[in-house]
Amino acid sequence: MNFKTKLLSLAFAGLMSASVVSAYAAEVTLVHDKAFWAEALQKVGDAATKATGVPMKQNAYSPPEQYKAYMQSSVAANDPPDIFTWWTGGVYEELIKTGAVAELDDIWAEMIKSGEFSEGVRDFYKVGDHVYGVPLHLSRWIVLYNKADYAKAGISEPKTWAEFVSNAEKLKAAGITPFVATTQDGWRGFIWFEEIMLRTNPEAYMGLHTGKVAYDSEPVRNAFKIWADWYAKGYFSDPRSTEEVADFAKGKGSMNLIGDWAIGLVEKAGMKPGADFDAFIMPNMDPALPSSTILEGGPIMLSKKGMAKPEVVNALKYFVSVDGANVWAAASGNALGNSKANPPNVIVKKINDDVAAMKTASYPRWWEAVPADLQGEMVAELNRFMLTPTMETAESVMTNTQKLNAAYWADKQ
Amino acid sequence: MALATHQIDFAAIEAKERAATKKKWPSVIVALLISLIWVVPFYYMAVSVFKTHAEYTANNPLSIPEGMSPIVDNAISAWNTAKMGAGFANSALYGLVGAGFAVFFAAMAAYGLTRISFKRQNFWFMLIFAGTIFPFQIYLIPLFFAYQKVGIINTHFGMLLFYTAVCIPFPVLVLRNYLNGLSREMDEAARMDGASEFRVFWSIILPNCIGPMTATFLLQFTWIWNDLLFSTVLGNREEVRSIMNSLQIFHGSYTTAGPNLSLTAALIASLPAIVLFLLLRRHFMEGMRVTGV
Amino acid sequence: MAHFPHRETDLQLMERIGWHQVKAVENRAMKRNFWKAFAFMSPAIVLVCGLLLMPVVYNIYFSFTKWKKFSGLDEFAGFSNYARLPGNPYFDAAFYNTAIWVAASIVFPLAIGFGLAVFLRGVAFGNVFKNIIFLPRILAPTAVAVIWFHVYAPHGVLNSLLALVMGQPVDIGWLYQDNTVTPAIIATFVWQSVGLVMVLVLLGLSAIPKDPLEAARVDGATNAQAFWHIILPLLMPTLVVVTILSVLSGFTTFDLLWVMGVGYPGQRTLSLAVYMYFESFQKGSWAFGSAIAVIIGIVVFSVTWIQTVMQSRVDRMTR
Repeated sequence: MNFKTKLLSLAFAGLMSASVVSAYAAEVTLVHDKAFWAEALQKVGDAATKATGVPMKQNAYSPPEQYKAYMQSSVAANDPPDIFTWWTGGVYEELIKTGAVAELDDIWAEMIKSGEFSEGVRDFYKVGDHVYGVPLHLSRWIVLYNKADYAKAGISEPKTWAEFVSNAEKLKAAGITPFVATTQDGWRGFIWFEEIMLRTNPEAYMGLHTGKVAYDSEPVRNAFKIWADWYAKGYFSDPRSTEEVADFAKGKGSMNLIGDWAIGLVEKAGMKPGADFDAFIMPNMDPALPSSTILEGGPIMLSKKGMAKPEVVNALKYFVSVDGANVWAAASGNALGNSKANPPNVIVKKINDDVAAMKTASYPRWWEAVPADLQGEMVAELNRFMLTPTMETAESVMTNTQKLNAAYWADKQ
Repeated sequence: MALATHQIDFAAIEAKERAATKKKWPSVIVALLISLIWVVPFYYMAVSVFKTHAEYTANNPLSIPEGMSPIVDNAISAWNTAKMGAGFANSALYGLVGAGFAVFFAAMAAYGLTRISFKRQNFWFMLIFAGTIFPFQIYLIPLFFAYQKVGIINTHFGMLLFYTAVCIPFPVLVLRNYLNGLSREMDEAARMDGASEFRVFWSIILPNCIGPMTATFLLQFTWIWNDLLFSTVLGNREEVRSIMNSLQIFHGSYTTAGPNLSLTAALIASLPAIVLFLLLRRHFMEGMRVTGV
Repeated sequence: MAHFPHRETDLQLMERIGWHQVKAVENRAMKRNFWKAFAFMSPAIVLVCGLLLMPVVYNIYFSFTKWKKFSGLDEFAGFSNYARLPGNPYFDAAFYNTAIWVAASIVFPLAIGFGLAVFLRGVAFGNVFKNIIFLPRILAPTAVAVIWFHVYAPHGVLNSLLALVMGQPVDIGWLYQDNTVTPAIIATFVWQSVGLVMVLVLLGLSAIPKDPLEAARVDGATNAQAFWHIILPLLMPTLVVVTILSVLSGFTTFDLLWVMGVGYPGQRTLSLAVYMYFESFQKGSWAFGSAIAVIIGIVVFSVTWIQTVMQSRVDRMTR
């Protein structure tokens, strides 16, 4: 009868586990899809728990598609999470349109009054007349460079487009691959496309997102020409690598165009910020154009349901406070735009100084600015170019992306 | 399903095959060369888990590791990065309880289908068996929305519910065939003695079904353990994430993990199924023979 | 056997109460029996209907609706989701690749598994080889996919072995190029599944009775003749079942494509199973995704139908 005892105990275990669905308690749970920051977010949560007295936890979903699907269905079921992370741009507007998320205008008014945040940061999260998010992180897209390689090639941080290009040339001549760029995880294809567009024709770059500029127009073709030319000259590392950060840290390429959130990851991979590597803002092709960078700002948002709970609002306020920002910066290497908080590392501090000195303007990232419905297919096309970087591929990429783009905007009218 | 009707004596087969074996060395060499296709990937996994990330990148992927010690770091790092502890616990729960309930319910249904005569038995059997004829993709969207609506998405209960359901039809088929072939004398006798139907089921039929129940339980347990699709869609929070789902972190954008780590994690995640197979090989083979799965 | 005093034979019963009443008594008994049996079947029926069959019905319903993102409000849309499928380049490519999967999983697992079974039967240490070839079967597809992802990597095992053979560096991105990605993943699928096919064929072979073979030998049949006219027809039922199992598991494969295809820009076109996931869970085109799921279902049913036809023909042949 041993077998039956086993069966019974199995059944019992099943019932026990089934009954432990979820115990409710007054606590705040930040729902997000950044599993790689889970520990860092929990550190902020622990600090918030101490500061506010209400336990704050974090709950990671992955991969991002699943998280988006979860948010869609939870909003459809009228049961969105109280506090959660999201993206700006097309998906941000989509979510706001549902009316499920809370306006954070009053919280922002306090944040600005305290002198910790600028109106520019607030406007980054504004849709129409209201603000719906606070920064989870604010990352500028900059060029990280390997200091040892730069010394070896006898070059310094470029101030102009010509210097930037000649640096690449000199590195190549010294036997060093100038740029690390991969298609890792399927989303990176837009990085260089976006940057070259911004450096050559910012107006056309912005026009792409509203359907005003076609993906097979001259400015785009021009950007592809530069990109393909650099590939032909051997400036880029193997796009098939699945270890972009490690590639940079190991010197497989001496520059890495990436969001400043990557600095912490490069440090983890063994390089010391400031000593082994530093960063600069990529110069524009036309020196007359004002200095600019791509700015990525993941938001934290509240649902209307969450807004009604004071403990949730307090958790949000703690996150953007000087204390919260400091814990977050130390744990993850991210800044969130609080000017009285410590910069997470020397490189971000330096870039902040540069931005202030050059009055650098911010542009949205292609990933967020492109209509959400087109994002996946278009970035796959850009990846396709990186894997076979010829003008022939570029032409078919332009044709395909424009087909998608045109169909999307025709559908909108 | 045609296979299910054969009754095969394993020992006799092996004896027959041994007799048929001719010791010709050229064919052994050919066999060796062919089996290399299967050995090399396993060898590759085996050496990679003993390498550090730096060593992995610097050397040929098939090179012999410089030392044994990196496996400790790899294992710890893989375990922590993917939160494999939680994944193990969750998958063990889903596998044991889900497959356990499924096989038990299937035995009950098979009992009802074979030991009690009523009209349209075949209809009810087909109704249950219909659960196996659709591709899994067709369940995904409705389940996802229904789970959300009922509030059991990302819960252990919801995961168990689905795994139990999806694992029922197959054991029903197997156990129905088995019970049809099992003599009715004992249960008729018990019934005559006034035993209730449940008593007959519990004390007479169940003990006689242990063989096929174990075999199907093992198959269903392995299926649940290996499932990625449904655990990705229905259980994505950390506390309910299955072991296969937790491996996906190595495909995440922001990890600095190298192939040595993701291979270590894949190996660790496979270990329970491998150990189970080696321990209960006979039952597995029996299950595969009966089911062809 | 014990004596049962309260039991009367059917004949006695009929004599006592007449034929019609027997029918009625039987009917009542059947009805009572049904509820008894239903009590036993109910957990299975409730779970299967609620979690498997209902979703299928809903999925078909969804495929005829139009969904609004986030609100999920559906309105009847007729066949518009289906009308969007043909001509859509991603769908066409996914369908084409699915067809390749169907064809490949008919041919390769069976051909290779059968070949190995026949070959290894007569080889010394055959059991060792059989076990080795069976081994991948017990690994999770996810784990298999991780191993082969790195085997196919640009600096991976395959390229380094090819370099050894060719004496020069080889740099093929097996999982990144249009012309190699599907064959490469199919090869992995075959690598994992062929062991089971081999074992099943071996079981089928050993179940073949010796008598007809010996009779044929006496009649002077060659080995080839014996194989074509006796072994193959007797093995046919096994081969049909094995093929169907390979095909169904082949073209509905998700794990391998999901993990191994991450670097390929056309990942969504690798098969209908992946395309459906992209459209629904990534893009939120739920109704469109449901329509793709229905198409997958139709392909499954066509294959199963062909199986039934083939099997009945084979049964007639062997009888």
